[in-house]
Amino acid sequence: MRVLVQLRPAPDVVAAVADPTVTATAADVANGLPGVLLDPTFTPVAVPRPLPARAGGDPLSLNQPLIFSMAPRDASVLVRGEIADDEVSTRLALLPGRGGVVGVYADPVIQTSLTCGGDGPVGGWRDVRRLLAVERLHAEGYDGSGVALAVTDTGVNQRHVSAALGGDFTLDRERSWSPDGVLGRPGEFDVDHGTMCAFDALLAAPKASVIDIPVLLSRRPGGSALDGLLSDAMAAFAHLRTVLDAQPAESRALVVTNSWGSFSPDWDFPPGHPGNYSDNPAHPFNLIVGSLAAAGADILFAAGNCGRECPDGRCAYPDQPITGANSHPAVLSVAGVDVTGERVGYSSQGPGRLADRKPDLAAYTHFAGSGAFGPGEPDSGTSAACPVAAGVVAAIRSRVPSTVLSPSDLRTLLMRSADDRGVLGYDYDYGYGVVNVPGIVEALHARATGVVV
Amino acid sequence: MVLITVRLPRGATLDMALRELRLKKEEVDVGYGVVAIDPDHGLYGLRVSAMAAHRLTATPEAMDGPWADPKIEPMGPPRKDR
Repeated sequence: MRVLVQLRPAPDVVAAVADPTVTATAADVANGLPGVLLDPTFTPVAVPRPLPARAGGDPLSLNQPLIFSMAPRDASVLVRGEIADDEVSTRLALLPGRGGVVGVYADPVIQTSLTCGGDGPVGGWRDVRRLLAVERLHAEGYDGSGVALAVTDTGVNQRHVSAALGGDFTLDRERSWSPDGVLGRPGEFDVDHGTMCAFDALLAAPKASVIDIPVLLSRRPGGSALDGLLSDAMAAFAHLRTVLDAQPAESRALVVTNSWGSFSPDWDFPPGHPGNYSDNPAHPFNLIVGSLAAAGADILFAAGNCGRECPDGRCAYPDQPITGANSHPAVLSVAGVDVTGERVGYSSQGPGRLADRKPDLAAYTHFAGSGAFGPGEPDSGTSAACPVAAGVVAAIRSRVPSTVLSPSDLRTLLMRSADDRGVLGYDYDYGYGVVNVPGIVEALHARATGVVV
Repeated sequence: MVLITVRLPRGATLDMALRELRLKKEEVDVGYGVVAIDPDHGLYGLRVSAMAAHRLTATPEAMDGPWADPKIEPMGPPRKDR
């Protein structure tokens, strides 16, 4: 247990601690407190003594007008230390009165408020590029060239993305696909969520060929739990399988970014029902995801925006909100962090429903980016984190096709090289950590030269 | 319309599915067609009327399902809720 120990040493020691021109250490103030491991990196702090402001006031009460005295005879000093967890009660009872100790207090971890929906942007897309070490990626030839990057979403507006990026990109109209009944042409859809996703994916892979799959625009008739739109995503994945199969083996590279999901169990059969989607690896959409990944596609899904601190108002699962394909073992499930590396409060936490260890890793979100939602509105949600990570995968694929490094092996490499956050090792907030491009590049170098890392 | 899965030969077409399952065109979402879920293992998906699905369940070896076909939505932007 981390503790703050309040001491009342000799007045000359207190004077030294209070003097900003003098640097005192914990050892100067507390020369050996039994059972307390002092933190030598913490500079002792002088604490003033509260005194009654009026003559005759109660010297023990804080509920009266007070003055605060830093006079050496009045002030005390705080040092920081640690007590073994199994000795806390004994030490707390024995320490006061010994070695000038006047009190021992808990020193809890404090956190800044997490970024939530509705908050303004934290940093911008250039920060994201810097954090992704995009210049280094491109210098090494990882820029998305020759890679098919499918954005399954609300459709892409090419003109808006080009303007926001400050440069053109390739929109692959021939391999784009729309569900039956969706009007509009690839690259010419209204500026919306899919446009944001395309922009964010191109940050790391500007030379990838974007395949526009506006699956979320489908409006099939119906409305019961049996008549929704997941079947359109299934048809989209079947189309992507034909795209993948048509690629030459020596350059096979298809990355699929999915920033969507199913928010409510009311739209599904209950877990345990044979037709259920959320918890059922045998559901046909979960089968087609596994089949496409096994054929060589890198599939990424947003973990979702149902984090405990500030969930999206649509979140209706009472627990384990990473459901269905978003928690599939053959996909990379992406959590969100802002550019400071802190998890955003809405990023869904694991465990996942199909695979326990979800999310897999985290990527950047909530930054000023595409402007798809208007000036000043951030690219946000795990919706943005997912394509940011997909762009990194697409960049890698420009030199490493899936016939050389399988999607499964690439996921392992991404997870092993991630920048660990939260508790040591895997955790349900960040997965294995934040996507770490220099670590990935080093691992690819090591792999190419046969060095095991 | 409900989502079902069926086993058909590789490269199956909608006409082939209609013949194999003895379905009429009006019982099937023709616009959706036949979707190859796992072509290597002959697994396909299609959307049929609830009546047709009910009839097909009488011969369970012909099909699996009905499967949930939930509404899907963009994940973001997250709505402020704290």
